[in-house]
Amino acid sequence: MSPLRHALARAWRDPRGRAGALILAAVTLGAMIGPHLLPDPLAQPCVLTCRDLGPSLEHPFGTDDLSRDVLARVATGGRISLGVALLAVALSVTLGAVTGLVAGYLGGAVDTMLMRLVDAALAIPRLFLLLLVLAVWEQVPVLVLVLLIGATGWFGTGRLVRGEVLRLREEAYVRAAEALGASRRRIIFRHLLPNTAGPLLVAATLGVGDVILLEAGLSFLGLGVQPPTPSWGGMILDAKAVLVAAPWAGIFPGLAIVITVLAANLFGDALRDAVDPRGA
Amino acid sequence: MSWTARLVLAAALVGVSGVWPLLAHRESASIVIVTGQEATAPVPTLMEKSQNTLANQDVADQLFLRLADVGPGMVTAGDQGFVPMLARSWTRRDSLTLVFDLDPRARWHDGAPVTSRDVLFTMGRARDPAIAPRLANVTRRIASVEAEGEHRVVFRFREVYAEQFYDATFHTAIVPAHLLERLPPNAKAWTEFAARPVGSGPYHWVRRQQGEFIELAANEDFFLGAPAIKRVIVRVAVNADARLNLLLAGEADATENIPPPITNIDRVTESKHLRVVPVPSSNLGYLLFNQRDPAHPGQPHPILADRDVRRALILALDRPLLVRAVLGRYGDVPFGPVSSQLWIHHGAPTPAPQDQSTARRLLAGRGWVDRDQDGVRENRNNAPLAMNLLVTASSQQRQQMALMIQQQLREVGVKLDVIRVEPAVWAERRAAGDFDIDFSAATQDPSPSGLAFSWTCDGPGNAGHYCDRGADSLLFRAMASPTADRGLWHQFLRRVEEAAPAAFLYGQVYVFGVNRRFPEVIIRPVSSWGSLWRWPAPRS
Amino acid sequence: MTRWLVRRTVQAAVTFAIAVVLMFVLMRLAPGDPLSRLQESRPMSPQEMAHLRALYQLDQPIHRQFAKFVRGVFTADLGTSIEHGLPVTTLIASRLPATLLLGGAAILLNFTLGLWLGVRQAVRRGSHVDRALTVLSLAGYATPSFWLGLVLAWLVGIRLGWLPVAGMRDPLLPPDAPWPARMVDVAAHLVLPALTLSIVTIAGTMRYQRNALLEVLRLPFIGTARAKGLPERAVVWRHAWRNALFPVITLFGLWLPLLVTGSVFVEMVFAWPGLGSLAASAASSRDYPLVMGAALLAAGLVVTASLLTDLAYALLDPRVRYS
Repeated sequence: MSPLRHALARAWRDPRGRAGALILAAVTLGAMIGPHLLPDPLAQPCVLTCRDLGPSLEHPFGTDDLSRDVLARVATGGRISLGVALLAVALSVTLGAVTGLVAGYLGGAVDTMLMRLVDAALAIPRLFLLLLVLAVWEQVPVLVLVLLIGATGWFGTGRLVRGEVLRLREEAYVRAAEALGASRRRIIFRHLLPNTAGPLLVAATLGVGDVILLEAGLSFLGLGVQPPTPSWGGMILDAKAVLVAAPWAGIFPGLAIVITVLAANLFGDALRDAVDPRGA
Repeated sequence: MSWTARLVLAAALVGVSGVWPLLAHRESASIVIVTGQEATAPVPTLMEKSQNTLANQDVADQLFLRLADVGPGMVTAGDQGFVPMLARSWTRRDSLTLVFDLDPRARWHDGAPVTSRDVLFTMGRARDPAIAPRLANVTRRIASVEAEGEHRVVFRFREVYAEQFYDATFHTAIVPAHLLERLPPNAKAWTEFAARPVGSGPYHWVRRQQGEFIELAANEDFFLGAPAIKRVIVRVAVNADARLNLLLAGEADATENIPPPITNIDRVTESKHLRVVPVPSSNLGYLLFNQRDPAHPGQPHPILADRDVRRALILALDRPLLVRAVLGRYGDVPFGPVSSQLWIHHGAPTPAPQDQSTARRLLAGRGWVDRDQDGVRENRNNAPLAMNLLVTASSQQRQQMALMIQQQLREVGVKLDVIRVEPAVWAERRAAGDFDIDFSAATQDPSPSGLAFSWTCDGPGNAGHYCDRGADSLLFRAMASPTADRGLWHQFLRRVEEAAPAAFLYGQVYVFGVNRRFPEVIIRPVSSWGSLWRWPAPRS
Repeated sequence: MTRWLVRRTVQAAVTFAIAVVLMFVLMRLAPGDPLSRLQESRPMSPQEMAHLRALYQLDQPIHRQFAKFVRGVFTADLGTSIEHGLPVTTLIASRLPATLLLGGAAILLNFTLGLWLGVRQAVRRGSHVDRALTVLSLAGYATPSFWLGLVLAWLVGIRLGWLPVAGMRDPLLPPDAPWPARMVDVAAHLVLPALTLSIVTIAGTMRYQRNALLEVLRLPFIGTARAKGLPERAVVWRHAWRNALFPVITLFGLWLPLLVTGSVFVEMVFAWPGLGSLAASAASSRDYPLVMGAALLAAGLVVTASLLTDLAYALLDPRVRYS
């Protein structure tokens, strides 16, 4: 079995990992199948009479300010929010890991160039950067949105990984591997990467929530996912107007986010324990 | 963290939250108004550049006076019904000449008397297009402004028309010549004056805390009577939720227009220390149809150039439902481009109710039929009846209405894409004609002659390229009439509705929130807080 | 070491310059311009627009505008804000204290409470405390800051009336009031925004610290220390913790500038007169001079923080060499 599958299996055996994975699976399933079983998330059947209704049998999550069914919107919104978050985070973690490893281990001119690039990019606030890029294009397809968010999110991780590698490359086992003539690629991927898995996985699991919330911020500024397509971030934003009158309109998408982030985190923890060569 | 540290932290928190309510001053003879925009240059004729905002006008209204104010009837035509301010009385010498006699008691805050020199200086700036282009445009029919002695000013006009008095008095308040006439027009010294303005109004400047608030104090020597409210604080909170919170918590006493949605109005109504005050507003919301093709400028729009299609779209909408759902009781459906503040609003005809069957018939009659049964109509070339609706992200109520409109039009086979963009982008696209339908909201002048800006063939604000020469001539006749003639204006409105350049959705009523300790609240539609000095003293 | 420091400083300056140019270009690329926002309140005629455009030199070719901007950077004259009509330097300077106050309070809370809780979690790994803290901190992290701010404002400010709901000070407090009263006033206004900002960011500090300390605690020298009979307290805080600081230092370096420009939503919801909301509204209204002023400040802070973090690495761990 490859080391990765080994690690996954170990993570599954861990009760926390199992719980996290199951919850994530349930949420994903709900997002994929739910919309087929539930009423139309866009329909506004009775804007004057059945808006801002509390949870009931007919509307388990209640209705929002335009009398739309909140459960249906949470399920449909999950598709977009989860999809964007998972893909974007995967992209940014990969980019961050590669950059940090290469910069930290090779050092010298490579390190300098890469870190200056990271600094320059970090000097521009991410929201600002996204705002400007999105403003130039105005309406981007969701895939491009994913790429943009992912491409602007790896800088911090890159620096973190590089910091770790700076420390790790002086460790005894790395020195030993160098002395034995191991190739640089082998050292990076076999010895350094697993030891930086800790911060990487933490970054990934936190990043998922980050992206979902970033998407809410983009909606705030009129960018990101366009109405009436629901997304969790957009729903929380719309719900702030009726915070006191209809709190469920924001609580349920908020819970969806918290549960997803939590589950991702539990699984990430278990995975980190499984991958860490120094054992749990 | 050691236990000592924890104890200290806890004590500090308790101390702060315990002491603060004691500090919170609720002086009775003061008022804290919270607004959404900072007044950065509240000086007439100076704020006409990039700071031509309502925030600046509201503060300027406390500090500076006009020759005369528009009366409570809001009639802008003729010479009757205006309220004397700096001008104590006026006479009409002939059909082209108005003479104002200034009140000799009027003084600037530094003690100097208000004279005709101040009026000449101010009007000179207002009529100079290099200094105040917008003011120069609206005062273009004034031929000259001359002084006859220290307290008499003579206005001469180029033509005979009903709003001479309005043009002479409304557009700008008067600024002190003796402090400003030596300064070059665009000097930095003007910024210093704006940082501490000197006016002749009921309140004088005390201080500004950048980004937080402005403090004004009552002018005890005000010649029309010292105000009962001694301190006015204008507090700024850009975010609407923060504004509402300040009001509900009692940290602010008043706000104009409780932010949407309407559930917030209920929150204020239910609050024990607040009351709601509805005030007709100059805000008008409408869907503007672009009659030119955004992709090929100069060519007619493939869908919207057809008047029957536009009529059908208007009939397909349930406009009263839109108003009730988003504005509640505080708005109505207008007939033509008339907000609830204009005096011609009174007695206007009733707007057409929703009629989806006629809408469908009209669309089918013009060749729009759902040939492939996908829910969207197509024409003979199989082009779908699909358009985009441009909405600015800064308006929560317009966004909400847009979603409802999208659903309503779906029912008659029209596919509408709601494009929500940043305010700066929205303004640019609108000006460039890059839209099919634009969700516009206009803040109208109290004078109906302001309609010429957007609703005439050659009007500079005619972003939809609407043109009906017959309507234009009706408008010009109404504007030129020497008396206030509602009938003529209503004829114009009927003509505009027939031409269907836009779907007029709502004339909003603003809902002010004011603390109950103010027993009498006087708010004139044209200036939210301009009558503050007339309010009786608040209860403690 | 000194040679490295000099080189590093030069690189920082270059990075700064690149970032600033990038932002200038992006800002101008975005559609919309400063004057379009004015159209919202009152429609303007094309002649008026042209006049205003000339007034603010927006009709000049782009390279000339850029040259003027660069000259301004070196003479510390960043121009006049189009929206506010005041010099950019004055505006930024007036907002800086409020920003530093909020950011400082949040950082303090974060890095004292956050570090301590993170260590606690690592030490009692797997216990109920550990799990509960994980769930709580993540719940805080996953909540949008504006949402949390609104809930806190409603609960503490309106429902209970214990603390003020917005602003930095009470405008009715006279400016000549004794300074303890003014201090308490600002402190009371600071509590809710600082708390909101901390709650949504503390999870990060806790998680990274916990993770780092866990790894250090497994190392042999810890076992040696324990075997020597040192109390657990000393083992954790004197020996282990220092080695677990690397990621935390990086975080500090990353967050320092972010707390100046990244607390936008908290500042907006609490009407806190800071730089974040100023910059955001300037970007939205395309107020070019003000945006570039804020951008310069943000870029400067990031570059400096990055330099300081690298320095800190070297000082903390003598094994770290820079080639």
